[in-house]
Amino acid sequence: MNQMTKATPPKSIIVYADDDPDDLQLLEQAFTHYSNNIEMVTVSSGFQLLSYLKGLAPFDPLPCLIILDINMPGLNGKEVLLQLRQLERFESIPVVLFTTSSSRQDKEFAGLHNVGFLTKPIDGRQMGIIADQFIDHCSEEVKKNLKDK
Amino acid sequence: MRTAKFQMLSLNQQIDLLYADGVYIGKRKLYQYQHVLYQYDTFYVEVVYKKYRVSVNKINYYTSTACLDPYLEQIDAGELIKC
Repeated sequence: MNQMTKATPPKSIIVYADDDPDDLQLLEQAFTHYSNNIEMVTVSSGFQLLSYLKGLAPFDPLPCLIILDINMPGLNGKEVLLQLRQLERFESIPVVLFTTSSSRQDKEFAGLHNVGFLTKPIDGRQMGIIADQFIDHCSEEVKKNLKDK
Repeated sequence: MRTAKFQMLSLNQQIDLLYADGVYIGKRKLYQYQHVLYQYDTFYVEVVYKKYRVSVNKINYYTSTACLDPYLEQIDAGELIKC
């Protein structure tokens, strides 16, 4: 018997770097609604994030979004961003700084480097919409794919 | 804004103000509850969670810096001493 099989399109990848395991877990949970379409890769430092990206083979799919905590030991999120922007392969990937900070300087830094800025939620009302706020920073193509699925 | 006026606001209003203008100080765990301390204006606000960042159990208010002590105790000064 012939069986028609429909190829499943690959999931979009979001990479999230944060040294706080509670926040890593929380954001993974926030994206469960999109688990059929999005694969979340979590790393616990800026070094690990750069190592993960540099380890991608030439034909591996690139992340559709990179989320960076600002306050990380070693390399902080802003330093990671500056290094990322030096790497041609990753320079066009949307980035969001995700932080406990609501400081004007950090917001200005995000604006200056054309990346998103989201403050970590304090309660469930803010948590409930956080995944969509991140997805808003993805490319139009990714957003369309998520809506179509 | 003074502490008393802040406390008169609804929980959601307090959270919204913290979200917009609170300065994150630190996080600690006490028994099963996560505590997160913010500075807001001239006082400190500690959010105590039943479920971290999702469900607020209660809010504590402090005008003294003594509330910083349990958060400062968590800081590993080893790296600073190395410098």
